[in-house]
Parts: sequence; C-alpha cells; structure tokens
Amino acid sequence: MEKEFKSKGAPPRVTALVVAAEARPISLTEGGRARLAIPIREEPNSHRSAEEQKVDGITRRSAMKFMGATMALASGLAACVRKPPRKVISRTSQPEYNHPGQALYYSSTWTDGPFPYGMLVKVQDGRPIKLDGNPDHPINKGTSSAAMQGSLLSLYDPERLRAPKGAASWAAADQQVRGALKTAKKAVLVTRATIGPSERRAISDLRSVYPALRHVVYEPLADETRRSVWRELHGQDGEWLPRFEWASVVLAIECDFLGTDGVELESIQSFSGTRVAETADDTISRLYVVEGGLSLTGTNADHRIRLRPSLAASFVRALRDAVDERTPIDAFAAANDLDAKLLGALVGDLKENRGKAVVVAGAGLPKAAHAATALLNRSLDAFNKTLEWNPQPAGLIANSKAEIEALVEDGVDVLITLGVDVVHSWSAFAKHLSAAKLSVGHGLYLDSTLSACELRLPSHHVLESWNDARPRVGIISLCQPVIMPLYDTRQEAESLLAWASEAPDAAPHTRFRDFLKARLEAEELEVGPGMEVAWETALHQGVILGPTNAFVPAELDVPRAEALAATPLQAGAYELVLTPHSSVWDGRFGLNAWLLEVPDPVTKLMWDNAACMSASTAKRLSVETGYLVKLSTPDGSVELPALVQPGLADGVIMTALGMGRAYASAPDEVFGTNTWPLIPSEGRVQFDISVSPTGEETSLVRSQSEFSMHSRPIVLEATLGEFRANLEAIQEKRSKEHGEPIYEPFKYGGGHKWEMAIDLARCVGCNACVIACQAENNIAIVGKEECGNGREMHWMRIDQYRDPVSHDEDELSFHHQPMLCQQCDYAPCENVCPVNATNHDDEGLNSMVYNRCIGTRYCANNCPYKVRRFNFFNFQKRFVEDPVQKLLFNPQVTVRQIGVMEKCTFCVQRIKGAEFEAARTGSEMSDGVVRTACQQACPASAISFGDVNLRAPAGPAEVAVKQQSARSFLVLEELRVRPNVTYLARLRNEAGEEAPAPKKQAEERGDE
Amino acid sequence: MSARPVTTEDLLPFPLVPEGTTAKDIDDAVSLPMESFPTRRWWIAFSFSLGLLLIFSVNVTITVSQGIGTWGVNNPVGWGFAIVNLVFWIGIGHAGTLISAILFLFRQHWRTAIARFAEAMTLFAVLCAVQFPVLHTGRPWLAIYWMVPYPNHNNLWTNFRSPLEWDVFAISTYGTVSFLFWFLGLIPDLALARDRAKHPLRKFIYGLLSLGWNGSNRAWSHYERAYGLFAAIATPLVLSVHSVISFDFAASIVPGWHTTIFPPYFVAGAILSGFAMVTLVVVLLRKMFNLQHLVTESHLEVMNKIMLATALMVGYAYASEFFVAWYSGVLYEKYVFLNRAMGPYAWGYWSMVTCNVFVPQLLWFKKFRRNPWLMVPIVILVNVGMWFERFVIIVTSLHRDYLPAAWGMYHPTWVDAGLLVGSFGLFFTLVLLFVRFLPTIAVSELKGAVLQKHAGAHHE
Repeated sequence: MEKEFKSKGAPPRVTALVVAAEARPISLTEGGRARLAIPIREEPNSHRSAEEQKVDGITRRSAMKFMGATMALASGLAACVRKPPRKVISRTSQPEYNHPGQALYYSSTWTDGPFPYGMLVKVQDGRPIKLDGNPDHPINKGTSSAAMQGSLLSLYDPERLRAPKGAASWAAADQQVRGALKTAKKAVLVTRATIGPSERRAISDLRSVYPALRHVVYEPLADETRRSVWRELHGQDGEWLPRFEWASVVLAIECDFLGTDGVELESIQSFSGTRVAETADDTISRLYVVEGGLSLTGTNADHRIRLRPSLAASFVRALRDAVDERTPIDAFAAANDLDAKLLGALVGDLKENRGKAVVVAGAGLPKAAHAATALLNRSLDAFNKTLEWNPQPAGLIANSKAEIEALVEDGVDVLITLGVDVVHSWSAFAKHLSAAKLSVGHGLYLDSTLSACELRLPSHHVLESWNDARPRVGIISLCQPVIMPLYDTRQEAESLLAWASEAPDAAPHTRFRDFLKARLEAEELEVGPGMEVAWETALHQGVILGPTNAFVPAELDVPRAEALAATPLQAGAYELVLTPHSSVWDGRFGLNAWLLEVPDPVTKLMWDNAACMSASTAKRLSVETGYLVKLSTPDGSVELPALVQPGLADGVIMTALGMGRAYASAPDEVFGTNTWPLIPSEGRVQFDISVSPTGEETSLVRSQSEFSMHSRPIVLEATLGEFRANLEAIQEKRSKEHGEPIYEPFKYGGGHKWEMAIDLARCVGCNACVIACQAENNIAIVGKEECGNGREMHWMRIDQYRDPVSHDEDELSFHHQPMLCQQCDYAPCENVCPVNATNHDDEGLNSMVYNRCIGTRYCANNCPYKVRRFNFFNFQKRFVEDPVQKLLFNPQVTVRQIGVMEKCTFCVQRIKGAEFEAARTGSEMSDGVVRTACQQACPASAISFGDVNLRAPAGPAEVAVKQQSARSFLVLEELRVRPNVTYLARLRNEAGEEAPAPKKQAEERGDE
Repeated sequence: MSARPVTTEDLLPFPLVPEGTTAKDIDDAVSLPMESFPTRRWWIAFSFSLGLLLIFSVNVTITVSQGIGTWGVNNPVGWGFAIVNLVFWIGIGHAGTLISAILFLFRQHWRTAIARFAEAMTLFAVLCAVQFPVLHTGRPWLAIYWMVPYPNHNNLWTNFRSPLEWDVFAISTYGTVSFLFWFLGLIPDLALARDRAKHPLRKFIYGLLSLGWNGSNRAWSHYERAYGLFAAIATPLVLSVHSVISFDFAASIVPGWHTTIFPPYFVAGAILSGFAMVTLVVVLLRKMFNLQHLVTESHLEVMNKIMLATALMVGYAYASEFFVAWYSGVLYEKYVFLNRAMGPYAWGYWSMVTCNVFVPQLLWFKKFRRNPWLMVPIVILVNVGMWFERFVIIVTSLHRDYLPAAWGMYHPTWVDAGLLVGSFGLFFTLVLLFVRFLPTIAVSELKGAVLQKHAGAHHE
C-alpha cells in the first residue's frame, strides 16, 4: 500500500520494503532481454510481383531506387550523424507503485562517506538517477555534498567488480572462508571506522563463532589524534561538536570545518546562518583562520593569519595566556613576525565573547595543539556553550598502523579487509596480505587491496545495500536498497552473516535486512507488536529520532592538558600539511570521474593534486607551477608537481591525500599522485621535510587561471561596519546600466517569471551545487586532457577571486562566486544564433533547443558570463553505448550529442514538471515547489529560486524578497543584459571596526 | 589643333602592350598554356598544390568524423583558425571584383591584363572561405542547409537577427555575382578557344561553355551592356561583403569586437590583402607562362600603389582603435587593447602591425614597386600580416573578455594548421587548373585595346 507521507518540501516517498523484495530487477537480466527486444523498423513487404510493376523497362521499384540513391548522395553528409541504435523493451510485469514517467523517492542513508548523512534517492523506472539529502535527517536536513551526489556515478561504474574472483561462486568462497576461519589460530578482520551498529553486531557475532578472529579498524583519515586527546583529558570517549550558530567569534586553527574537517554539511549550515545581515541592527559572526596551508575555511575567513603548523600549539598557548591576562600576545607576535594589531584584536574579541566564542583545531594537528585548544576553550567558557559534547561519535575508534602492524606482523592465517582499500594508503600492508594463508578482500573495485588478495569479493554499492547508522545519540538512520544488485555482488555485512553460520542463504539480499530489523526491534525500539508499522514508517522517513539529551563530560584535566600542550616540537625549514582531498576524501572516491573532474574549491585543480606552496616559498625553491618536486619525509618520499598557491604560510607545503588511484583495467592511467607515503604516524603534519626540485616539468590542469578581478564590478563586497553605517553601501558600488537595446525587449505575459538569487554571504564555495547540477542534467565528463583544453562541461562553476590584503602577494582575501547561466532578459546569446536554437521563453528562461543547434558557438562567444558549454566531441558516447552506464541518465533531460551547445536552464524539467502537476491538480503553485538541483543540494541555503510574479497569499517568493535586499547586485550590470540571477554581497566582518554583538542570537537561545 | 576622339590610349597610365603587338600575338600568347602539354614547372606546382589539397581533405575528414574538439577552440575561445581563415580568404577574394568591377566603371583600362586572374582568384578564395564556416559548426551535416531559410511544415525559420545569417546572404550573393561576372567576361574568350580547338571534344566543351557565341555586333552589344550592368551590381558587393563579415564581430558585445570602425576597416584590410595576393599570383604566373609583355611591371606598380594606400588606412584603423578604447573609458575595451599589445598574444599583434603597416612602407620606393622579386616578400608578408590581423581580432578578444575567472588560452592544433595550409592547396589547385584550361587574360578586351590603338593611328 502506498503511503502518502507529506513532509516539508519532500516529494512523497514509498517504503522500499516491497519494491526491493518483490519488484523484479529492471531490464538487466540477461535472459529475457533479447527476446523482449523489438526492432522498431520492419522489413518492407512487397505484394506485387516484379512483372506486374514493370512499365517501359523501368520498374517503379528501380525508379525509386534511383531516387533513393540520389537522395542518399544528396544527404551524404547527413549520414555522418551517429545516432545510437535503440531498442524498445517492454516489461513483463509492472513494478509496484511505478507509474511510467513518474519518479519514486526513497529515504536512505549515505554510508559511503566519513559521516552518515540522510539521503533521498530519486528512482525512475527502477533505476536511481539522483541523490539528495533527506529533509527529515536532523544533521544534513536535505542538503548534500559533492561526494554524496557523486556516489550515484559509482553505482553504474562499469569497472566495478561483478562477480567473486578467486572462488567459483559465492558458496565456494563462503566455504573457503569458513573453513579457513575454523582452523585459524589467528585471523584478522579489517574494517572502516564508520560501519553501522548492525554491522558491528554482525562482526561481534562472527567473532563469537570464531574466537581467533580479531577486529581492527583502519581509517587513515580518522579524527583519532583529536579524539584521543579529548578521551585522555576528559576521561571518556566522545567528541566536542562546534555549535557555530551560537558563536560570535570563531577561531579555526588549521581546521577546515567548512570543507574536510568534521561534519561539514552541518557546519556549513550553522556557520553560514550567522553570516547574514540585512539591517543596521544585524550582526554577523567573525571568523579568524590561522593556518599554514590554505583551506576552504581559510578562503572564507574575515581575517586569515598565516602561521606554520609547528607554531599552532604555542600560538594557542600564547592566546590563552593573553585571554587570561597573564602575558600579552605582543611578544608572540613579535617573535614570529605576525601582525600584533590583528592578534591584539583577536585576543580582544575572544575576551569579550566568552561563552560566545569557539576555537577549533584541525584534525591533522598534533596532540599538543589539541590540548592547548581545549585549555583555551575552557578559558573562553566554550564548553557546553559553543561546544557540545557528543558521547557517541559516528565512527569507531580507529587503530593506529602500529597496532595493526603489531597484530599482523608475525603472520596471520586469515586476513580479511571489508570495504576499505588499505593498500592504497598503506602500501606495506600488501605484504601482510600475501603472507596470510588466506587473504580476503571485499570491495567495489579490483583496487590495490583486492588485487593483493586471494579471494576477491565484490561488494554492493550503498544504493544496493541495507544498513543502519548512528550519526549521533538519539538518531538511527536507515539505509535501504533502491535497485536490485546490478551484478553478482553481496554487501559486506551479508558476507559476515554467511561466514558466521553454515546455514544456506535462504533469502538472498534480505538476510542482513532481517538481521538489522531484528536487532533494531530487540535493542533500539520499544514498539512491541507495532514493529511492522514502525519499521515501515522508519524506512519511509529514513531516520528514527529518539530523545537527545545534553551530555556534559567530565571536567577537563587541566594539569594534564597543560603538560600535553607544552610538548616541545622540532620543526625544520619546510613543513608539510597533508589534507584530505576536497572531493575524493581519503581516496575512496578516487575513481569517481565526477569527483575527480570537479575543480578543487581552493586550488581549482582538476584530476590532480600538487605540492602547493606560497609564492615566496616557490621563489626560495626556484620552482614554478608544474615543476616536479621531491618531498622527503622520515616516513617516505614522493615526487609531485608544484603549484604556486599564494596564501600559504612561507615554508609550508600543502598537498591533498587520496589521489593516485587507477582502474584495474588501465593501471598506468593514474589520477594524481599518491601522497599517502608521506603520512606521519600521528596527525597529518610533517614538521621537517626536505623539498628538492627534480628539474622535470609536467602540466597541471586547472579550471581557472586568472584570479584577479581587475577592478571590475563582478563580486561586490563591503565590510560589516561600512554596511551598517550606510545600508546603501553595496547599492552605491553597483555599476550603472549603459545604452539602449537595439531590439525590442522581450514582452512577458505576466505569468511565471523564474529568477534566482545567490547569497554570497552564505556561499562557502563547497562544490555541492556543481555535482548536483551534473547529476541532474546529464552533464558529460570530459577527462583530464579535455579539461586541460578548456572544454569542461560543468553548467555551474564556482569562480574564485583573490584580492590583495597587503603588498605581500601571499596576503590575500578570497571570494567565491557560483556562476551559471544568468538567463538574461536581453540575452546576447539569443540574437546571434543563426538558427534560433536558443530562445527566450515567456517565463524568463533562456532556453536551449538542442535538436536545432548546429554549433556555431557564436552564442558562447557573445555570452559575457561564459557559461555556455559546447560538445566538442561526442563526450556522452561512452555512456550512451554502455548498457549499464546509460542507466545513469535523467530521462527528463536530453543527452546532448556532439556539436551541440548546452547550458543551465534553471532545471527547466523540474519547472515544467511542477507546472504540469499544478495544471493537472488545478492547484496554485506555491513558493518552493520548484527547486533547482543546485538549490536543493546547497548546504548553505545560499540559492533561492522561484517565481518573482508570485502574489500574496502564496507570495512574495523568497527570491523576490532577496532581490530587494540592500546587499543585492547584478554581475556586469552595466552591460544591460538584465541578468535574472541576483547576487547578494558578502559582508566582511573586519576586526577593529566594532566588537560583534550577537544580541539577536543570544535572545534566540533564550537560556543565556 | 584638331579634336580627335579620346582613345583608350589616352586613359592609360602606361602602354597596355609593347609597341607592335598584334592581335594574333595576344591570341597565341594567352592560348599557349591551354593548347600545349603542361610544362614541367606546371606539373611541379600542380603536384605540390594537390599535396596540400590532400592535407586539407585529410583534416576535413578528421574534423567531421571526430568533432571540432580536434581543433584548438575551447571555452572561452569559441572561434579559432576556421573563422580567421574565413575572414582571411574572403578578404583575399576582394581584389578580383574590385579590379574588374570598380576599376572597370572608373575606366581604369590598365586593369585589362590582370582582371581575369583577379576575378578567378576571387572565386577560388570565396570557395576556400566557405569551407570554413561550414566546417567550424559542430554539426556541419545540418548547418549546410539549416542556415538557409526554407519553408517547412514546422514553420522553423532562421534567425534574421544573427550576423551569421547575414553572412550566408552576403557570401552567397557575392560568390554568385562574382561567378556570373567572371563567366560573362570569359564567353568571348571561350569562343576563341573553341575556334582554335582541334580536338572535337575540346571543341564541344569550349563550344558548350561559350554559349554559342558568334561574335556578331548584336552579341557584342549585349555583351558590353551586360558586362557594365554586372560591374554595377558587383561594385556595392565589394564593399558590402566584408562589411557584413565584420558585423559578425561588430554586432556582438565582446570587447574588442564591438566597434563601429569595423566595416571600413575590414574593407580596407580586405583590399590590402586581396591586392597582395593578386600581385603574388600574377608575379608567379607571368613568369611561369612568359606573359611579361602582357602583364607588365607598370601593372604591378599600380597595384603596389593601391596596397600602399590601403596599408596606410589599415594603420590608421589600428591607431584609432587604441584611441577609441582609451577615450571610451570602458574598462573592458581598455584591457583588451592593452592585452593585444602586451598580453600573451602580443607577438601576433606586433607581427600584424609590422607586416601590414611597417613593411608596406617600402613601397614608397619605386624600386620596390617595380621589381617583382623585391615585391614578392612584401606581398607575402602583407598576407601573413592580414591573417594575423584576423587572428588578433578573434583570439585576443575572446580569450580574455568580461569575467577573469573564465579567461583562457587558445592553442591551435595540427588539424587547425593542416586546414589552413590545406586551404592554400585548394586555392592553388584551382588556380593551376584555371591557367591550364581557361584563358588567363581577357583576350578580347586586350585585343580591343590593341585594335583601337591601330585604328587611332590610322586617324592620325
């Protein structure tokens, strides 16, 4: 039975229970497919004999033949069109709930990433075609990240391992594993830290069957250094969660909380919410970032202080001394050549905002820095105010390499890795795998770990799996399959169950579901006989929410913290900051073309990583962008290209981890450089490395080459003080329209008029919108070479501009600006198209008629925003022709052919879908009923979209309100193209102008 | 002082043919290449041109089968070599009609000896030019007919606001009229070839092409009238076609393109490059076929004077562009011109200025105007410069326009280079076939001049 659960903004969903268990796999079974294929054309059948048709020696048939030949000659060139052959396949039985052409939505949980976010999956004709955040999930609240969006592509990756290798069948593999485990004296099971509670239970069940089995957690990017300091100082396991929504002053030390450090979707939401001011009474938070590298958070800072990571701990100690008024900060500033005035302002801000300030230190820093930060937060009265204690982090405590090494070094009988590519980040582990009597690898790809294993078992993708997760206390998040497994794969937990018992697998694909459900019923839920209803409701909602209490940890052990914070540190001439990659994380998404191709938000690198260094460091080393440098650390050395990235601290090299993977089918085609050999045993900073140019050069591909705004009115900005003193500050900076249009302006009918507003005060530049757009609109992947040729296809891009702060070229402030088709009222692209392939519609959209486009590229030349994208090759050919990859496509969006121009159309398919639905039901369209893909994904709620003609009571639309903001402006307004995307200026909260006074927030909070 | 009728002789700056040249001499000299087995020099030139044409065909095949991606174009530089070549070849194609039509109307009779070459060159240049706009589209198999407005049941029309659509009309009109004008001038000479032909097939083909010309007074009178008419029709086209081509740029909003100076600037540049190309071809052909007595150094000198004048105009346009960019105060315009002169493509800009403005200054010296071997390097450099002019206009304006975040660079590929070089193969193959099979000099017109001279002598 279909249940119509209506929740805010979410489309109706159905539970997957019935679908997954009973629906037949869609058109992927090999057997029935050929029989069902019906060719569209039939052979013409002639009924008359040749003699009958013959007149005057020339038959009608031969006359037609000549005519046909003439036509064929005439249209000789037209024969070059490569239209892929298609077949019509009918269904033998209609899946339940499925109305042709209508999508179904399922709640699930994204368990692939470092944090389990709630996920809403759009399923069209049995195939998932879009992932979004689950609006009911209390952490990500409907938003999503680039990596989460990108998971969809991995599902249809043709390189996935499709059947067990090393054993004839799953049964044989299970037999072998069970046999080996039974006789093993020592067996080790390696998993990720983020496995769910039911998986953990399955492991403990397995261990009770095979007592020799040990479970170790390998998570190379775990937050273990920081967490262990907290564990040590508070005497209990847990984590401090920053509550940016209550913070007036945020100090981030080498901490990319908006990017790769922590629960970024939650942090972006809460932080960007404190950045918006509309009136003279409003105030916004102030963000100080102190870092040696350059993080996405750093690019969003009000003030950025470049400081080597080796000085982080002593800096925090000095700050604490200054805040506690023991010693002023000036001495530290003078000793380290820092701006004493700025540091003084920072100390002042922190002192004035006790209880409203928060200091976060990056997960990569050593223990001393975290201990010092804990002490400073204590001095600032941040504990339990701007920091909240979570006694139950989502991930398990990770074992260190040394611990794992100690366990496996003298040989193990069975070594099993579950869903983790250990060898990629720890190459020495391969020898342990080969030393084991039986090595078992369970994963999505034939990656470096699986290749080293004897038994190579293919895993389900997250979209094919059952699972649960416990992101926080009081939240159970459920993961359900939304498609039958594409291949002969099995999810890892299912294997654990299969190995634990000899019983034959009676219910393939649902065994773990039953296990999970039973565990929930027994341990988590108190529903008694109502379990079935509760279960279905839970699956429908995707989450089960329990009571959340405020947890207060034990008092901080101050003497111990002080001792730890004072740990001395030796630093050399060059320090190395290793960061998780902005989209492929630790490398687990390192084969995902969407995530490899999306430009890094800071460096704008595509398909690559590099040794980033400041301009002055580069000068000192006499290297330029693209020169190969050798980084040597005590743990290992790596050669990779240098990238001059102004903004880093001098003497600091920063590089992203996680790159350097390759498909098993093309092992030589490596994406980026594997920098894992450089990782230290604790934290992610090497304090003494040597850097030497090798004298060789290579090319790096970046989506952007010029970062200066050249004093053009592109991104407008004001300081908070300037804005509060004069609300017209931004309006005064706007450029004025010039000239009159040659042609009559387009006459709108007064119906819908779709417009967008992008609030740059909220936007942090995280790329979620870029990938959401790519997934929604069937945007092609072009590969590194074509990116290098400037042919990337992203309809949406994040432009980055840098402003000098001082004469030092490394002292910069940054701007992020999402750029997409501006749907100009007087669109310059429209009148230059010779064949009318791009037109204005009466709802304000600048629409593309792909079928009509002949590809003169004149429109792209004439677009001042350069947002049009051209299919220089048949980029989609590979996807269109692959029976699996083509399932990815959104059927509501044309897959563009070679030679065709394309661009953003404000997700016109969603607009039209909503309009048809409104027309069908005779209802009025309310604001928010159409949401663009970028808007839906945006964790910062920076994008508003709607009908500006919407009148009361339904209106005015949010976008119309935003357009009236004192911060609104248009990009390149003087061109008078009348863009329909309004930007809202970001306000920089400069120190010294005025102390932030978060009275509004304090009032909201009530209890303070 | 007896009033005598004004003869062609009086209007000539120099004698058209050497003293004592008879009509038969002219017939023989012009017909020789058509009637004798091609010389070794012709074969060498022809095989070289065919080789280049092969390069062209290979690169066309690559482009159409694999896509425009094989070229250097990208975002933001959507137009590259193809459009540069289009404008370049259309420019080359200017000289022919200018020489035949405008100079005809102005009674510049010295044009007689070179008009046929020039017209043929125009046609071949236009033919080379039209390859590019079709090839450069993403889907040439559709572009080839979708650009043409034709009634259809979908009521789909072309966009008459688009300068590219104007190009379709401008180029096709120019090509058609140029062809008819050229063919009309050929008719009496084709009849001559027919009359001299010995082989029946030759006779048949030239007979067919000469449309039954009988040389009667009636035919001549119709011919003269039609020729004058076509000259009048063709004259505005000389000015219009490149003006319309310049609208591709001027009607856009790209800084560096959006300027009102473009139409006259483009026409002047086109005449400069066209005359340079005619001079080059003429110098080579008169040597190859020993026509020095019919195409004299005086002809070349007049051509060079026109080149010098247009080079000065072009130089003025370059200077005024900079002035206007500065005077307008528009941020983007100012940047584009600074970027042209000092940015990454400054080498292209300075090549252009050197070749088009500085090098032609040598033509102030009579020696350079009259010595074919001194002028050849100049005209080659002028053509290089004119090609760079279009490169500079197209690439430097596009590669850095409004949003610095979208800036990029343009790097042409081997396919781009192959198409450019190969288009010369197409051009020279056609030129060589033309000199082999058709009369390269307007025999009837030249004979007319000679005979009139004799007639005048009788009157004396």
